[in-house]
Amino acid sequence: MNVSHDPLVWFAALLTLSIFSFLYKDNPFYRFAEHLFVGTSMGYWIALTWHNAVKPNLWIPLVKEHNLLYIIPLILGLFYFLRFVPRLNWLVRLPIAFSLGWASGVAIPAVFQASIIKQIQGTMLTPTMFNRWDTGLWSVVILIGVICTILFFFFSVERRGVMKPIAQIGITFLMIGFGASFGYTVMARISLLIGRMQFLLRDWLGIVQ
Amino acid sequence: MRIGEALLKIDRRVIYLILGIAVIAPLIKPIGIPVNVMPETQKLFNAIDQIPPNDKPLLISVDFDPAAMPELYPMLLAILRHAFAKNIRVIVLAIWAPGTGLGEMALQTVAPEYNKTYGKDYVFLGYKPGMTAVMLGMGESIRGVFPTDYYGTPLDSLEMMQSIRNYRDIAMCVSLSAGTPGYLEWISYAGARYGLKIGTGVTAVSAADAYPYVQTGQLCGLLAGLKGASEYETLIERHGYSKAFKPACQGMDSQSLAHLVIMIFIVLGNIGYFLTRRQR
Repeated sequence: MNVSHDPLVWFAALLTLSIFSFLYKDNPFYRFAEHLFVGTSMGYWIALTWHNAVKPNLWIPLVKEHNLLYIIPLILGLFYFLRFVPRLNWLVRLPIAFSLGWASGVAIPAVFQASIIKQIQGTMLTPTMFNRWDTGLWSVVILIGVICTILFFFFSVERRGVMKPIAQIGITFLMIGFGASFGYTVMARISLLIGRMQFLLRDWLGIVQ
Repeated sequence: MRIGEALLKIDRRVIYLILGIAVIAPLIKPIGIPVNVMPETQKLFNAIDQIPPNDKPLLISVDFDPAAMPELYPMLLAILRHAFAKNIRVIVLAIWAPGTGLGEMALQTVAPEYNKTYGKDYVFLGYKPGMTAVMLGMGESIRGVFPTDYYGTPLDSLEMMQSIRNYRDIAMCVSLSAGTPGYLEWISYAGARYGLKIGTGVTAVSAADAYPYVQTGQLCGLLAGLKGASEYETLIERHGYSKAFKPACQGMDSQSLAHLVIMIFIVLGNIGYFLTRRQR
């Protein structure tokens, strides 16, 4: 056992235990750690944004290099604060409209290409998929799964006749998908617990390597 | 019926306690459950392994915060070790603000192990907000988005960056992603638009969503959660690239045991439900 002598490690360990104490019940230690985390995160984020975004992208070009074009983004940015001035709060729509318009224009074609067109291509059967029996089989399973799942959400036709078994196959695929997601979620949460335990047992108490 | 009711009324604190023991015990006394490498992990390993030494660099995007550190930080260390062992030059940046400190910490840990020099073998660009603008802007000009590195040094004065202008000069990008923005944005903006090869390491929560992108070839490989990290650690050790401590592999015994405990509780809960169903 090789207990750490670093006061920061001790502080981090005590904060970890304070958060874990919530598993028993809510208590002042937990609330202290939670509030400290929120405050510290926000402070860190503000400082980082100033040094990495506002200062190099606005302050230096405008104030030190006297590039007056940067007054436009400055004014647009300041309009966000007019939300607190009732008479002028309509002006906040200008930067929001600018951001929305720009972001939508950029995002829609990119997301359409990456998440719709390519995914549809991935569902289609091509001769090369059948070069190996296993990839061919999985491609057919994926195709059946996609079609049945989409038809499960097709509510314009009553689920009778041929639509009934198709919808049942669709929901079976959905359930398998949810099960896989849940399994991965459990794994993720346990991983976080393992990470904290490794910190407590290794970095703080020095019990494990 | 009493057994059924008892099974349904197990105090949650008892479950936490048993789960805690299941996690701690293997850390103190490892079981040594073998790590099997999944094809998606092997694909990412192969993609990085095939980058020629001292040629186009590997871009690593630290798209996570300390909350995802147990899963993604071991991946970052392992990928850096792999790249440095193969003399692949590395550019690290952060799309998530808290990723800045994690990226810098990882470089400061791994670079000295392989005697790598800052500016010659690796560069740290730091964090820049506005992920869409950053990803698209780097496709045109990296200097346009990052005129200086994280430490304020102009990119032109860094030896490694002399020949690197945009994505065309980068071998591939690995996004270590804990959510949005993350691998999906890299696929959409850098992959689809500029043809940059993308690989990813994700938290287990988002792993199921990432698999379709591997199947379509939009991702050249995938590391899924702590398991993916342990597989990558195993691969780099097996190929002789690293003999460093493997934190993800250390955690996998606990992971397996904890899963077993959860499965047992799910089965017990269902038994309790069926035993008491008639009463209801």
